[in-house]
Amino acid sequence: MATAAVYSSPGFDFSNEIRNNFLASKGIPLPKATSTGTTIVGCIFEDGIILGADTRATEGPIVADKNCEKIHYITESIRCCGAGTAADTEFVTNLISSNMEMHALTHNRKPRVVTAMTMLKQYLFRYQGHVGAALVLGGVDATGPNLFTIAPHGSTDKLPYVTMGSGSLAAMAVFESGWRKGMSREEALTLVKSAISAGIFNDLGSGSNVDACIITANNTEMLRNVEMPNERVQKERTYVFPKGTTAWKKEEVRKLVVQEEVRLVGEAMDTD
Amino acid sequence: MNSLANRFSTTGPINELRRAKSVLEDDEFTDSAWGSEAGFGSLAKGVPNFTVPSVPDPSAFLRLHTDDYADPSCRIKIQHGTTTLAFRFQGGVIVAVDSRATAGSYVASGTVKKVIEINPYLLGTMAGGAADCQYWETYLGIHCRLHELRNHERISVSAASKYLSNLVYSYKGMGLSMGTMICGWDKTGPAVFYVDSDGTRLKGDIFSVGSGSTFAYGVLDQGYRWDLTDEEAQELGRRSIYAAGHRDAFSGNTCNLYHVKEDGWKFIGNYDISKLHYDGPGETPGAGYGYDVRVERSAAIAVQA
Amino acid sequence: MPDMIALSHPASGHPQQRQFNPYSENGGTILAISGADFSVIAGDTRQSEGYSIQTRYAPKVFRLTDKAVLAVNGFAADGNMFVKQVRQRLEWYRHAHAKDMPLRAIARLIQTMLYARRFFPYYVYNILGGIEEDGSGAVYSFDPVGSYERESCRAAGAAQSLVQPFLDNQIYFKNQVPQPGHPHPKHLPLTTVIQLVIDSFTSATERHIEVGDGLEMFVVLAKGSPLYGLENIDGVQEMTATNDGERLFVVRRNLKRD
Repeated sequence: MATAAVYSSPGFDFSNEIRNNFLASKGIPLPKATSTGTTIVGCIFEDGIILGADTRATEGPIVADKNCEKIHYITESIRCCGAGTAADTEFVTNLISSNMEMHALTHNRKPRVVTAMTMLKQYLFRYQGHVGAALVLGGVDATGPNLFTIAPHGSTDKLPYVTMGSGSLAAMAVFESGWRKGMSREEALTLVKSAISAGIFNDLGSGSNVDACIITANNTEMLRNVEMPNERVQKERTYVFPKGTTAWKKEEVRKLVVQEEVRLVGEAMDTD
Repeated sequence: MNSLANRFSTTGPINELRRAKSVLEDDEFTDSAWGSEAGFGSLAKGVPNFTVPSVPDPSAFLRLHTDDYADPSCRIKIQHGTTTLAFRFQGGVIVAVDSRATAGSYVASGTVKKVIEINPYLLGTMAGGAADCQYWETYLGIHCRLHELRNHERISVSAASKYLSNLVYSYKGMGLSMGTMICGWDKTGPAVFYVDSDGTRLKGDIFSVGSGSTFAYGVLDQGYRWDLTDEEAQELGRRSIYAAGHRDAFSGNTCNLYHVKEDGWKFIGNYDISKLHYDGPGETPGAGYGYDVRVERSAAIAVQA
Repeated sequence: MPDMIALSHPASGHPQQRQFNPYSENGGTILAISGADFSVIAGDTRQSEGYSIQTRYAPKVFRLTDKAVLAVNGFAADGNMFVKQVRQRLEWYRHAHAKDMPLRAIARLIQTMLYARRFFPYYVYNILGGIEEDGSGAVYSFDPVGSYERESCRAAGAAQSLVQPFLDNQIYFKNQVPQPGHPHPKHLPLTTVIQLVIDSFTSATERHIEVGDGLEMFVVLAKGSPLYGLENIDGVQEMTATNDGERLFVVRRNLKRD
């Protein structure tokens, strides 16, 4: 009979949208989410799929993580590379991974890559781009190797080789000149490594190491830091501070162990 | 001085600059750029030449690219944020300033000289645009010297401040930003004038300018008397800047203290504000302006217990 | 001088005012430290716009005279033009006076040249390093419209906020209480300063995406000063052009390219 005093729609709460836009126009910027200016790629080879990613996470121009993992687990034979807002890629792949497991248990079958792709695109479309995840989804299922890209608004592509993220142009240039149909595992891995390297060196948003993941019909091999072309150099000086470097005003020593003294009062109990 | 009056009264500064530009066209450097005028070459003819962008509204252009209050992401950050004060008393003029320069939320420098030594008898303070104050007060120094050479006597503080005031007024609306106190000693005795880029010029006994001025005034007004001794007056100036440095995020680092007397100004000292907080201006530990008075009570309680 | 861009709209035929934005930001970081009788001025060599690298070698540090070196950061086009104009003025000074302009005079010259563009600023942050007439090492830093100050160390540019706190701690010994009986040294030796500069840039390269590729470091030594082991540093090259006494060296290092 009586409706709820406050109607709350499912999904995101946009009630602060107008206020935030007003504040932004007054020169008060919104807090920035960690975004993975990224190079992520995927390509098909004769036995399956290879996915690749760099390992730099940025916050504006600052490197937030020098060795993060951008190839996310969906199922044993399906993986997903994420670019865009770090939190969104993390949560959306976790959610779909979870749903895929439920799907597998419900139907007692290994789920297909298209299933994951459909779940992801429907989820992303529902949020009209506010979930900022740009994904490369790849895996091998009953139908064979499958490779997709999913853009933040929910549109998808099915191609033999794909790239995404800020380094996508650099990586695609390598694929366009080097990809052939029916490459061997070694050829394809070399190509993926050089595509990611192109992103690492030519795109400021990408950097550090190369991660790769080789998925075949009966095996998935995660090659974490398969190449490390940007190792930290030895510093010229060592920076240690002698004891007493930090100024202090007051010294107080407290005993953290409480001491308790037990004294027997009265006669001992007769225990015979 | 006729040419001066002429220049500053006839037309607006934008037209003035346009005219200067049309005369000079692309030839930014004239003969005056040669030789020993190299440093102030652009001033040698008396009129500084400024390049203006060829857009309908040059000051809107400047505001668009430099105003970090309206747009924090604007590219050119001009240094702002200050506490400066000056007051007149029986023993002359005390000038005290902080030394912090901020660009947005970044402390760009903690060692800025905000007292500009115009000549041995005149001091100017810096609040607002650092470059505006530095440049125009140096320029004022040149003209004070020319006044001395022409008239065989030192310029009065009143005349010097009016010169500056007229000068910045001619650029009104172009985006200059300065709030300055011209302090000195002339035939009339100690004098302090407040001049800002809006064209305001005020004669007075006590002034404080900048984002931390309210904090400085609080201390200054309650401790001020005309017949302060020299030591008391210096302490008051120092204590006021300390208060502003302590409470205003855009002021701080160190305090520079000057005392103007009949024989010209004297630099009294540079004081670290956090050292003033803990230890005070001297070398006695525990004589701080702020720390010990705040922890005394808890120390007393600790003794009771 | 660039002119206003006014385009007429093809469809409506009404003239349309475009936003006049002659400025861009090209990343990179510069830094200078002065010692008792030397000055070190350094900058990385990457020039970028947005997420793209325009070039891996674009010098930001320039020799003005044997005793003055200017580092320029911000908008590269403005910076290069500005250095060109400063050099022209110094050349004219040489013709008029048959000597190089003293460092403090160069500093004032730069102020007036920047302030001449008060209403159409050069988008550049300048750091001038070198040797004063009294033989002491000096660093002058400028804001885009010409306010300047003599300091003994200054970082500017993209990684300014990463490098300056490090230098405050290691050069000015900020937040470091000296050990009893061991006061902080007033001036640091050249080898230490060079190490601090290299570490500043390798660290900035790790954490700032716009810094990297190469490091170019100029060292100016005062008249009659010893080399302080400078000759043993990898890839050092002498740039001295006159016999006035001050000596100028450049050290180049590779930085990470990702």
